[in-house]
Amino acid sequence: MNPLLEIRKLSFGYEGSQSPVFDALDLTVRTGDFILVKGASGTGKSTLLRLICRLNRPDGGTILFQGSDISSVAPAKLRSLISYVAQIPQMIDASVEENLLLPFSFAANASKSPPRRDELRAMLRKFYLEEVTPDQSALKLSVGQKQRLAIMRALLQEPLLLLLDEPTSALDRESASMVFALMEHLNVEEGKTLITVTHTDYKPEKVQPLNYMLEQHRLHLLP
Amino acid sequence: MNRIVDISTAQLLLALLFILIAQASSFIYHLGLNRDITIGTIRTFSQLFLMGYVLTFILKSSSLWLVISVFVVMVVSALFIVKGRVKETQIAYIIPTFLTMFISYFATALFVSGLIVGITPWWDPRYFIPAGGMVIGNSMSALAIALERLFRDLREERELVEMKLALGADYREASDDIFRKAIRAGMIPSINAMMGVGLVFIPGMMSGQILAGTDPLIAIRYQIVVMLMLVGSTAVTSVVVMLIVRRRCFGSGEEVLLTPR
Repeated sequence: MNPLLEIRKLSFGYEGSQSPVFDALDLTVRTGDFILVKGASGTGKSTLLRLICRLNRPDGGTILFQGSDISSVAPAKLRSLISYVAQIPQMIDASVEENLLLPFSFAANASKSPPRRDELRAMLRKFYLEEVTPDQSALKLSVGQKQRLAIMRALLQEPLLLLLDEPTSALDRESASMVFALMEHLNVEEGKTLITVTHTDYKPEKVQPLNYMLEQHRLHLLP
Repeated sequence: MNRIVDISTAQLLLALLFILIAQASSFIYHLGLNRDITIGTIRTFSQLFLMGYVLTFILKSSSLWLVISVFVVMVVSALFIVKGRVKETQIAYIIPTFLTMFISYFATALFVSGLIVGITPWWDPRYFIPAGGMVIGNSMSALAIALERLFRDLREERELVEMKLALGADYREASDDIFRKAIRAGMIPSINAMMGVGLVFIPGMMSGQILAGTDPLIAIRYQIVVMLMLVGSTAVTSVVVMLIVRRRCFGSGEEVLLTPR
């Protein structure tokens, strides 16, 4: 079976910086993988996720998604298949429901049918957001609630790969454990493929993750 | 009615009294504007006298190419003023902006002098140059406001734009709000001018015509044409420039190219 994502000899450096962020970095991701990328701050963990969904452009190397070079796929189409959730969750100034349905207003998701309101309510419960109503303002939610809402929104467009950038960095212990439980649920129960960047020493309970350490410009698989 | 009163050099110098008052205010209240007022006064005299001689020469020469050359100089000067106000170094917006400005302003001036006023030849400098000048002057400000706003908002709201991109938006969908707000910000002064004209202020061109002895009922017709021309050309130029420049703010992967300053 072809890998879902294959990165070969990826190189990247920020303009004006002497040292590259990545130099001949390789990574293979198969459907159903639960990948954790760890590393000290400044090693490029977030940049790696951004390169996979083309929010940054690599200097060299190839990234194949389902066997196709991502640079040959229309960017919006690619990002409807690979969903990226940034470290700081972003919401538009509108209700929770409008935020959740935002992806369906984009042409790349036109063929997908938006969830009904009762389905949204059920999903909110599943994402530990039972206290949140579809009508309330998304901007007034706590950071932890926004983070879970952002992951939920990314999943509504049914991506094949979910990229989570430090999803618990701004959260207290309780909120963080909810997000971790959610990530494991998505992988085990729903078969989602996840790449999560984290600097915590999180050890999943229900999942056997592939742990990578990002150092010296490359990814190293940890035993 | 059609009597033009000439202003003699002595009378012109008498007008410097206004500057003396301004200088005195600045001096008494330590406004720190004395130097700027002096330079501004010298520039007003020298630039307008120069313009007067150039215009006299052009009006007498009746050469199409000379008129077009003056027009190009006016557009290039406007472009430098826009560049000075926008101060953007990451995105190459100068050439598309120049081309759009040139084509749009030329078409507007041509439409006004050739079709509405119906002058022959269409490039008669007495009509074409002032029409062009007014279009360029007004639209230039709108463009500077819109471009500055586009770059600023794309930088400040970069994370929000990237959130939309990450959810499958194309670059147009992701920057739709910013694009609309920027064009509106540029257009509003021209539209507001239409609301206040004749009530709050008498526009410069119309005042000039009336002072020079034109029947006010003729002057208002010219002024109406000018107001409509300004709104139309500002809208077209802003939209076209912004469409081109917005695309340039995104890379081949539709990623945001503007980085925080």
